[in-house]
Amino acid sequence: MRLTEPDQESAVSVQLDTQPEAGPSSVAGSSNGYNGSTAKQNGYSNSYTNGHSKASPTDATNGGGRLETQTTSITKVSLPGSTLYDDSYVDREEFVRLIIQSLRDVGYIESAATLEAESGYTMESPEVAEFRRCILDADWARANAALMRLGVADDERLWEAKFLISQQKYLELLEANKITTALHVLRNELAPMNVDPDQLHALSSLMMCSDPEDLRQRAGWDGASGHSRRRLLGNLQRYIPSSVMIPQRRFATLLDQARAYQQSLCLYHNAPSNSRTFSLYTDHLCDKNAFPRVTTAILEVHTDEVWNLEWSHSGNFLASASKDKTAIIWRVEHDKDPSIRDISPQFILRDHPYPVGCVAWSLDDSILLTSAEHFIKLWNTRTGLCVRSLEAHTDVVTALAWLPDGSGFISGGLDRKIILWDADGKQRDSWGQSPIRVTDLTVTPDFTRLVAVGMYDVPASGPGVTATPENGNQSGAGRSAENRVIVYDLLTKQPQLFIPVDGELTSVEVSDDSRYALINRAPEANAPCEIHLWDLESERVARRYLGHKQSKHVIRSCFGGVDGTFVASGSEDAIVYIWHRDTGTLLEALPGHGPGSVNSVAWNPQNERMFASCSDDHTIRIWEAPPTNIMGVPDAEEHSRQAHEADGKGKGKSRERWDGQATGTSYGLGSSSGSTLL
Amino acid sequence: MGMSYRRYLNGARIYGCSSCKTHLATIHSMISRAFHGQHGRAYLFDGVVNVIEGEPNDRVMTTGNHTVRDIYCCKCGQTLGWKYDRAYEASQKYKEGKFILERNLLVDVQ
Repeated sequence: MRLTEPDQESAVSVQLDTQPEAGPSSVAGSSNGYNGSTAKQNGYSNSYTNGHSKASPTDATNGGGRLETQTTSITKVSLPGSTLYDDSYVDREEFVRLIIQSLRDVGYIESAATLEAESGYTMESPEVAEFRRCILDADWARANAALMRLGVADDERLWEAKFLISQQKYLELLEANKITTALHVLRNELAPMNVDPDQLHALSSLMMCSDPEDLRQRAGWDGASGHSRRRLLGNLQRYIPSSVMIPQRRFATLLDQARAYQQSLCLYHNAPSNSRTFSLYTDHLCDKNAFPRVTTAILEVHTDEVWNLEWSHSGNFLASASKDKTAIIWRVEHDKDPSIRDISPQFILRDHPYPVGCVAWSLDDSILLTSAEHFIKLWNTRTGLCVRSLEAHTDVVTALAWLPDGSGFISGGLDRKIILWDADGKQRDSWGQSPIRVTDLTVTPDFTRLVAVGMYDVPASGPGVTATPENGNQSGAGRSAENRVIVYDLLTKQPQLFIPVDGELTSVEVSDDSRYALINRAPEANAPCEIHLWDLESERVARRYLGHKQSKHVIRSCFGGVDGTFVASGSEDAIVYIWHRDTGTLLEALPGHGPGSVNSVAWNPQNERMFASCSDDHTIRIWEAPPTNIMGVPDAEEHSRQAHEADGKGKGKSRERWDGQATGTSYGLGSSSGSTLL
Repeated sequence: MGMSYRRYLNGARIYGCSSCKTHLATIHSMISRAFHGQHGRAYLFDGVVNVIEGEPNDRVMTTGNHTVRDIYCCKCGQTLGWKYDRAYEASQKYKEGKFILERNLLVDVQ
């Protein structure tokens, strides 16, 4: 509602248009004009007296009829019942008090006062307001006095609350270098409270801090001028009944919960959390058509299978590793329209004596690591020249992972070695023999742990070692090696956790919050191929993703989208699979690659609506949302499907229109995707 | 097709490729030492790993006609021996599906 008479004097004048019989929702059309500065003070200090003293039962009876007069005093509206609506469970008083709190928070002081007067509910008693003010103004003596009147349940709780206040007082005195007074507080206020001696000791040791910065650092406290007083209020909240002192920003908290709930139901959720994507007017639901599920480009330069992919941190370059003994750095301007974007190989990195298995960008994207058999190579990404070639491994290097601080990287290999390198390729540390032959490893983003997956050797006897006949790839033969996940503590290099898993493990990624590990598991005996989301805290499988095919090849998966909402994986049936991470629902099964395996997928770190996949068909595909200028129709999926089915021409140019994409003739939308697309 | 890692064997005695030490077979899967290859003595194995099989072709051997495929090391490409697809003589049928590795092309690895 707008202020219609901004020039009017500050006297509160409210036009009421009420119809109490129809319930409170019909209250409408109140407008008032006020002069900001005087009103603010007025509204704040007088708020409760206004509400209380003037809202008398006699006023309320006036509400019976339609009231359309300009009044100088606010009439309390009397409403039947105590709930917001007749059939509602929401308590009207609670609701109104939260509204008043919100209004005050944003600065609509006068409106808040008006609402208090009209409803007869006050946001909080004068004692609470006093208490709040005392805490924020560091008036500790009066804060303690005010606390006594706030209904803390029992004496012990009261002491705990008092302790928190004295602790803040103590820290602020130390910060202000008033050592003597601080010591006094420690001795006479904190010590007698019978708290944990360790806690008291920790507090007293802060006396030794050299300067205020040191104090704040060691106390984990942001000082009198920081948020510490507000935080103290938040902590004190626990001791005071929330009906007496409403938790800070309570309404916003409830809205956040509603948003989180709506987001959990939004399977295609891929939008950042801002007011544009979350309107209070409607339930949130992401547009399925904005999901990256059409090929906008096919990169065809490699002359053999493409095995691995990684985006630069800038999102503008894509590195690919191929069996053709090269790695390619592709320039992909992710923020440009696909129709005008030119994707081209920036550098083709040759000089690999063997097929290239891994690629890894340094944190600043200035160095690209590649691995080929037991070699690791460092490439300058600005010149495309090989800077160093490292030969510390004695068998295939299967994983390269930069440290989260960019100071170096860790390599792992089938020789059981885990080696820590400086950023310039100097060997810093070797971890000794791992019990597993490492097939992949990664460092958690919080820099505390290393998650390695790998395999044990095949036992000697039995038919287990018999080769598979058809193509010389023996890895699919019945093997009984115990494959394992090992979680190491990065600091001590000691294993913290061993997880036995059946089936070969071919890829591991860790979520941004460092809690979950995404692991691809090949089938074994009765265990089908699955992707597991391991909860590293509770040490169990939190979620399984099913539907893709993996038998004997190294297939990799990744997290994708905003907040890693999705899980994407390659598959041996030439299809890219994407699941909703939290529910395990298969969202998309995207055909397009030619016969063979989709070996790896990589989500663009800067553009949540773009990812890439690489395949045995020698190509890399860039996937994005269908361009809106062509689509813009509700049945976009049907469209793209028809396009898929109508077009079986095979590979095309290196840049394609969304609807001209090639599909592998026998790998189209078969039963697997037909039934699983939502 | 596709990327796969070489297999690693575990046991008392592991035979590997003489040029790159890739694991090939263990003594437990050995059936016979009484064979001859192009480079002298050869062993018959029940199963081997990490080899690529060539195209089948018929060869007349001392024990009769056989359909065999040459086998190569999957890492270095060295020819290591052959695999029996089919034996024409009934008495030689036991060799079908088995592998010959030439002793001079093997090394002990651990």
